[in-house]
Amino acid sequence: MKAVLVVHGGAWAIPDELAEASVKGVKAAASEGYRVLGTGGSALDAVEKAVRAMEDNPVFDAGHGAVLNADGEVELDAIIMDGQTLGSGAVSCVQNIANPVSLARAVMEKTDHVMLTSRGANLFAERIGFKTAPTETLVTAYERREWEKAKEYGAGVKELFRSQLCHDTVGAVAVDSCGNVACATSTGGIRNKMVGRVGDSPVIGAGGYADNRSGAVSCTGHGESILKVTLARLIIFHIEQGKEVEDAVELSLRYMDERVHGGGGAIAVSPSGQWAATFTTERMAWAAAEQGTLWTRRGALQRQQRPDWTYDFEEVTGCLGTLTTTAIDEKSCYVTPQQW
Amino acid sequence: MDQSKRRRGRREGDGRKSYRPSLGKERSKRLSLCLIGMLPVLVVHGGAGQIPKERVEMASAGVRAAARAGYAVLQGGRSSMDAVVEAVTNLENNPSFNAGYGSVLNVKGEVEMDAIVMDGRTLASGAVSAVRNIANPIQLARLVMEQTSHLCLTAGGAGQFARAMGMPEVPGDSLITEYARMRWKKNLAPNANPVECQMGKMGTVGAVAVDEDGNIACATSTGGMLNKMEGRVGDTACIGCGGYADNRAGAVSPTGHGEAIMKVTLARLILFHMAQGMSPEEASDLGLATMKERVEGLGGVVTVDPQGRWAARFTSTQMAWAAAQGGTLHFGVFSGEDVTQGIGDPADG
Repeated sequence: MKAVLVVHGGAWAIPDELAEASVKGVKAAASEGYRVLGTGGSALDAVEKAVRAMEDNPVFDAGHGAVLNADGEVELDAIIMDGQTLGSGAVSCVQNIANPVSLARAVMEKTDHVMLTSRGANLFAERIGFKTAPTETLVTAYERREWEKAKEYGAGVKELFRSQLCHDTVGAVAVDSCGNVACATSTGGIRNKMVGRVGDSPVIGAGGYADNRSGAVSCTGHGESILKVTLARLIIFHIEQGKEVEDAVELSLRYMDERVHGGGGAIAVSPSGQWAATFTTERMAWAAAEQGTLWTRRGALQRQQRPDWTYDFEEVTGCLGTLTTTAIDEKSCYVTPQQW
Repeated sequence: MDQSKRRRGRREGDGRKSYRPSLGKERSKRLSLCLIGMLPVLVVHGGAGQIPKERVEMASAGVRAAARAGYAVLQGGRSSMDAVVEAVTNLENNPSFNAGYGSVLNVKGEVEMDAIVMDGRTLASGAVSAVRNIANPIQLARLVMEQTSHLCLTAGGAGQFARAMGMPEVPGDSLITEYARMRWKKNLAPNANPVECQMGKMGTVGAVAVDEDGNIACATSTGGMLNKMEGRVGDTACIGCGGYADNRAGAVSPTGHGEAIMKVTLARLILFHMAQGMSPEEASDLGLATMKERVEGLGGVVTVDPQGRWAARFTSTQMAWAAAQGGTLHFGVFSGEDVTQGIGDPADG
């Protein structure tokens, strides 16, 4: 069985100043997650590892680096799902937890429930020994500044900001050497969201879904649109109907655009190792690892041209043991070895 | 919320009324469905599970009353959204059901409620999870859909929004019945029988409807699971699980074992089957069978399609349900039961 891991660091209009760090972040997360698969670990362990790496990275809106809600607080959502059993765990609006994806996993493994929210989720975290992370350690100075700016302008220019609202939810999907699939998604939501707003990320079938019979999906983008079309489940539905993974994702994103005018992206993997990373937003940071090869987008984040939906990626070869990879230098197409 | 003052007419998602030229073919198809009595249609459920014998009659009377109330809204020419919210509000106010007043208690002995509405025309939706101290979560869910740019608000944030909307706050105790308290106490016992635990939980309530214009809506509301952990969110607040409505396919409102419903995204699953040509009955049975096979969960659904065909199906022991269509009320509680009476017949119970 071919083991594959795909990660994303959010589909939105990633500004140039964050682009490089975003690509670096997804590559690092993919490598970490793939290391688990490479040593015979499970898809569930691999997606948790990859998402934790991105939660710990302040460039992404998840865990560390999360955005602030209307009250200036952090509220985090996450989900994890095991394709073998359809077991799932999710948390919504949990506060001050550095790794919500691990808390979501604990919900799945230590309770009879699938989802815990808000104070109840925090009480559970406390009971099982999860440390509380003070807000200042989770929120970057950049985010604090942007939040103040948005508050200053108020509702009047909400629409103007909307296009710049970051949607850098993070996620991962994987298939392990036993053919088991899993997904995980984690986010801090959208800046200045209403207190208690729950987006797509922790909602099973929307922010993520995994089923050994068809595949695993993790979504990112405009949360409300993803919810309306239950994007992850829709992609799985198309795979169940026999579509190629890539076509399933593209069809579903197009439907979301047509039906509810929402943009976003998704990563998906099938039990046989087929995978895809597609988006309709300006950019999406993503990386995929299979058979010792790390795939990412040349020049990081080019917009995909419609109606021509072809990729423009370059293979970045590497070997697992030492995790060296070669990177393509855009300017001269000269290959430079680089240590991770 | 005073629904009676709403004027006839369909509103666009952002609240503005606008003229939409109807396609001739679509319109005449709908007219003929109305003429033969298929539209409008409303189906409600009062929960799937094991209803104790002594509570069967009140559950059946309750869903019949709710169906009549919702159907009257449709007969008045109003929307399917108005109708399902009316029906579910009726059930939330009825202490016999596990929603609003009469909700089951969490492990701490408190009421935390989930609810969802969905508009099949625009796929707009509103949901609340783990909300406290309000009498009608379904109305709050509708406000989330209509007054915010979000789809779901939870816990304290949902409460804050309710206050901002002027929704009256009610003491938590006012939602608790003696029956709910008795069930909660029983389940706290260390040797509480797990089957006995969920018995008589009376179930989530829900409704689906298609109005004269062919617009489809669903609504679901619940107090959740007996003695659930604080902050536990079940299927009801999760779009695609506890409810889904799409003018192109139909609407579903499930009830039953919440975690199982979530794992198979039951509402969405049934509508996928209907989009492929299955009838509401076939699709519902297949969805429920999948849930039983894959995750050993039992439950029930009420389902409707754009042509007004409907189904009330369940794999649990009982489900209190009622359907109103063409002047006739259908209802049942036990498997295979389908009693009919005229809508205009004197309401009983």
